[in-house]
This record gives sequence, C-alpha cells and structure tokens, in this order.
Amino acid sequence: MHKISRRALLGGVLGAAGLVGLSACAGVGGRSGTASTVRYAMWGNNVRQQNYQQAFTEMQQAVQGLTIALEFAEYTAFQERMTTQMAAGTVADVFWVPSPNVMTYYANDLYRPLSQIENLDLSDYPAEDLTGFELDGQLNTLPFAIFVPVVRYNATFAEQDGVEPPADWTWQTLAEFAKDYSANNSQGRKALANSADTDLGFEYWLRQRGEQLWTQDGKVGFTQDGLASWLDYWEDLRKAGATTTLSEQDGVTADWPTIGDRVLMVFGNSNHIIDDAPQFPDYRFALRHPPVAADATADFRYLYYPRMAISQNAADETLELAGQVLNYCVNRVEMLKTVGLTMGAPTNPRVAGEMEQFASPDEKETLRVVAEDRAAPRAPRFEAPAGSGSWRTTMTRTIEDIALGNTPVPAAAGAMITEINDAIARAQ
Amino acid sequence: MTTPLAAAPAVAQRATARRTRWRDELVAHTFMLPWLLGLVAITALPMLASLYLAFTDYSVLSSPEFTGVHNFVRMAQDPRFWTSLRVTFVYVFFSVPLQLVFALVLALVLNTGLRGLTIYRSAYYLPSLLGTSVAVAVLWRQIFGNDGLINQGLALIGIQGTSWLQDPSLALTTLVALNVWTFGSPMVIFLAGLRQIPEELYEAARIDGASSLRQFRSVTVPMLTPIIFFNVILQTIGAFQSFTQAHVVSAGTGGPRDSTLFYTLYIYQQAFVNFDMGYAAALGWVLLVIIALITALHFALSRYWVFYGD
Repeated sequence: MHKISRRALLGGVLGAAGLVGLSACAGVGGRSGTASTVRYAMWGNNVRQQNYQQAFTEMQQAVQGLTIALEFAEYTAFQERMTTQMAAGTVADVFWVPSPNVMTYYANDLYRPLSQIENLDLSDYPAEDLTGFELDGQLNTLPFAIFVPVVRYNATFAEQDGVEPPADWTWQTLAEFAKDYSANNSQGRKALANSADTDLGFEYWLRQRGEQLWTQDGKVGFTQDGLASWLDYWEDLRKAGATTTLSEQDGVTADWPTIGDRVLMVFGNSNHIIDDAPQFPDYRFALRHPPVAADATADFRYLYYPRMAISQNAADETLELAGQVLNYCVNRVEMLKTVGLTMGAPTNPRVAGEMEQFASPDEKETLRVVAEDRAAPRAPRFEAPAGSGSWRTTMTRTIEDIALGNTPVPAAAGAMITEINDAIARAQ
Repeated sequence: MTTPLAAAPAVAQRATARRTRWRDELVAHTFMLPWLLGLVAITALPMLASLYLAFTDYSVLSSPEFTGVHNFVRMAQDPRFWTSLRVTFVYVFFSVPLQLVFALVLALVLNTGLRGLTIYRSAYYLPSLLGTSVAVAVLWRQIFGNDGLINQGLALIGIQGTSWLQDPSLALTTLVALNVWTFGSPMVIFLAGLRQIPEELYEAARIDGASSLRQFRSVTVPMLTPIIFFNVILQTIGAFQSFTQAHVVSAGTGGPRDSTLFYTLYIYQQAFVNFDMGYAAALGWVLLVIIALITALHFALSRYWVFYGD
C-alpha cells in the first residue's frame, strides 16, 4: 500500500481548502452569461416553465450559437432572488420585471438602455406605442405583452341560469345585476368573487374618476375619497350577499380553484383566462370589459404591460445575443405558439394579428378585449414608484380590517394611503 | 539542584514533546480549517455585517447610510412590530408547553415496552422532519381550509365548520396545532431520557408503596428535569424562529389581520418586500436579544427546578 506522508496529507488538505475558498469566491450560478449563453430570468407556474423551456429550446435551434440558461421561480421567490442578485450584482442578462418594482429597479440603474442593443428590431411598433413603453423618457424596458382589466364570467352558468352579463354596464347596473343574481339563481351561486383587491380593477375605477394609481412624479395618485369609494362599493356588495365572503374564497384574494365553480363572475386580468379556464374544463368562460361610470372621463382606459429588460450587468459581448432573444420573444409568433398567451396579448401588433390564426377560443377572448382597449383613447399611465412595492399587501390588510368590522372604510382608506406614502418616502 | 549537563536531555525531551504537540495541533487545525472558514465567512462575518446594517438605512440596492439608532426608535413607533412581537410570544407561550406535554405523554406510552416500538417511534418522528417544510404547511392549509378535511369531518356529524385560516381569532391556533403535531423530536429525546432513569429507583418506590402516579411525580419527573430543560430551551428558540408555516399559510402576508404575523415573517417582509434591509437587520438583532434574555431567564430559573442528581 502506498503510504501518504504527513507533509503530503497536509499539503493536500490545504490545497483542497484553497480550492474550496476560491470556488466560494467565484459565486454560485450568479455570473453574467458567457459569450454564447444568455441567462434569462422569469416567473410563473410549472406549466409556464415547461412551455418556456420548450420555446427556448426552439429558440436555440433558430438562433445560431445561442444557449439560454433559464432561471425560473414562482413570482414571490423570483422577487426575492432578484433582490439578492441585485445586491450581489449578479442579475440575469435578460429578466422579467415585476410590476411593483419597475421604478425601484430603474431608480437603482438596473436597466441597460435598449438603444445600446443594435440588433433589436422594433420596426413593427407604432411610434406612439414605443413612447408609451418608455420610463422617464427612455426606452430601457421592453413590454412583451399586454393585459387589461376584465370581468370574466362563466358562460355555462349564465346559460344555465338564463342570464347574460350586459356588454355595456355601469357600476350601478353591475351591482344591481349581482345582487339580483345572487338572491335568485337556483344553484345558490354568488354573482361575484369579492374582488376588492384586484389592482387593475381598482385602477380602472380610479381613472374613471379622473384619479390615477401613481403620479408621474412618483406619488400616490388617488385620494382617500377615491379609495374609500372603491372599498365602499365592494363592502356594499359583500354585505348584500352578492359576493363570496372572504372565508368562502379563502382570503381577500379569491382562490380560483376554490371559487371557480361557485361564482358567475370575477374581476381580473385579461390573461388570467388562459391559465384559469383549463382548471374547469366543463365550463366555458368569456370576458367583458369592467363597468364604466356614467360620468367617467373619456380616456380612462389603459394597457398594463409586463416588461422585460436587459441587465446593466450583462457582458457587452452577450448584448447581440440578448437582442436576438428579445427579438424572438416579441417579434416571432412561433414563441407564442409554444407559450400561449399566458402573459397576455402580444405588444407587437403584427404578431397579434398572426396569433389570431392559431389562438384558442380563450386566447381569442384575450386578444379581443386587449385590441378593443388598445384602440380606445388612453391617458398616460405611470408605473409604481420606488418604495411602493408592498402596496398590494397593504391593501389586502386594509380590506381584511374593513370586512372584519374593525375599521370604518374612510379611516382604513386614510391609513392605507399614509402607510404607502411612508414607504415611498423611506425609499427616497 | 540539577546541573546544566543533567538538564540538557530533559530540555531536549520537552522541546521534542512541544514539537510533537504543535504538529498534532497543526494537523487538527488543518482538518478544522474548512469548518472555521465556514464559521467566519458564513456566520461570523454576516452577523457582524448585519450588526452594522442595523444602524443604517440600507435598501439592498444602494449603499447603506449610517443612521445611528434610528431603526430602533422607529421600531418603538411601529405598530406592526408590536403586533408581530405579540403574535410570536402568544405562539411560543402556547405551542411550546403543549408540544412538550404531548411529546412527554407519547414518550411515556412508548416507554412501556410496546411491541413495534421502532415503527411507532419512526412514525411519530416523521412530522418533526416534515413539520417545518413548505409541503406540510401547504397540507395544513388544505386541512384547515374552508373545504378542508376538518370542516368536512365536522359536516359529517352535522356541525357547521368555520373558517380556520381566515378568522383572525383562529388562524394562530391552527399554527400552534401544527407545531404541536411536530412533537417527534422532543419525544425521541424524552424517550432517551426515560431509558436513562435507573430501574432501581422505581423498585425502591414500589417497595415504599408508591402508586404509578406518585412514581411519575417523585421519580420520573425529577430525573427527567434536565431533559425537560433541554427541550424547553431548544423548542423555545425554535418557536421564536418559526417562519415557514406562517409564510405559507398566510401567503406571506401574516394575515388575516396580521394574526399570523410572526416576528420572522415581519423581518422577511421588511427585507425582501420593502427592501428595508437596515430595519430588518435591526429587527433581527432585537430578536436575538429577546431569545438570549429568555434563554438566560430559563437558565436562571433552572436552579430551582432542574435536578442533576449530584
């Protein structure tokens, strides 16, 4: 047997320790992509992950010399990972931007201006669209989909119960319809899931009143009265039994698998039908635009964009490939044929037209409502300012407080605005 | 008195012994080096960094700015800080004693010489392995959900279920129940402790006419107090650090109405949702101090009730 000397053993151990130390210094999976590898970070569920993985495999075959390293996580985990990666300077080359953090990331110089991506092809986009994509007058993120607020209804239930949600309704007529349906349908269904916490619906309400969610200079854009009126509307419906209770829907945010076969309508985003409808394959679903107040402002409609961006950390030599990845994602219908419209209708109008040929009935609904809102006049919309990232959680607590009878609506609304303002002030 | 000539071999011997000991220590420390590096790099340095950050305004995304004791002053004025503290203390106060009593009772039963003890022990220990996992927290959500197992069971006997997880007065109770359910770890430790109690003590007690209850009170409990103490310390510290259950059951919000806002969950919210890492670091250090004080209190009180048999 070969005998190892003590000196050799010590040398070996020290060498190994040195290697461990060096590898620790190198970090784990956090470096920017190599010249041919683009790190792509996104969020979603398992189905989305599989679809995107498949799409990236196809993309790699279509783009010479490209390898995509997918960094996938559930939405909350994605944001946590982004936070730590930002602190470590190891954000993926291309990444999706969670909407509450669009301006937070911008404030921290995370986005590489897209003007630096020479091969990025935006020729299909009308100039006004590109202007609408800008943040602070600069095109540094690329919206890759559009969704709008909708009321989704169970068309099978509606048929069974002999009702038809009106295509043109006011908030008042919706409330009357919901109360009547809940009181009189033979199956004991509720007309609506309690949707007081739907951010897109809330913004739709505010804009009809001439208010906004956020102002251009990064402040809360709504008044206590505006917020209270929205909360009052839902409280009235809840108390009248026209919505599911918080316990019936398993919390302030309605749990779709729990309430999907118990309610006629839910407020939500136009893209939700893509993932939600297949959970109840026996039913057919359709979309309506949310109600419009009789005195609504003319240009209250808006488009909501999920965005992707190229990181400032991305190595210069990967920019061309990153540009090709962006091109493939937003300019090729092949991408959408594989991943579907889970993230919304395409921003590229040409691709949206091409997608019509391949769209499923649910996808056609998504494309329709987005196209209708896209054609309507729209006042500018501003992204959530830095520090406001937890405003939805604050709203959830506010709604809980009200529903449990602990705080009157005006006081709860005032407290919520104060809390959001404090958070924004702390971030500045 | 020794002459220099006579002392020379002794000096040389001592020098050789010193060299040998030094070489042995070098080898030992070399083998310990990876652990030491880990301790310094992964534990000590981050702790020191977090201590510094506790006195700064640090958003993770930009450089920390020294703000003195501002974070601690802010804590005193932060209602959610006090809520999280109250929720955590209630959780610890109820879940730890209940869990330990449950574990002790089971250990006593298993110590009676049941057949298939190994199987029972493994089965009871299993929840301890899974209890703090996301999977079990999700399962808990299903069990206590509006249409969950509990309400379905109640419906079978004609009782209208309640909303366990959406009722602020009940949500924390379900988390206490989850913690009690993970009694396996203290149970195994109790079982080991019970096996160490000398049989002759029970024999002597029986000869003196002690009933089973008296034997338990006068022999088992006193002899088991070091183990009870050990479990109390471990479980108390663990309960203060509970996070996963509340995070999963409340979907990260600590709701309904902050009724499950564990202290650690609040730290997490500040750090990763609000990007307020300086404040989160300060909260973390306050938790450390609280746990240290409570542990010190346990040790101080232990002299009155823990019996080491010496």
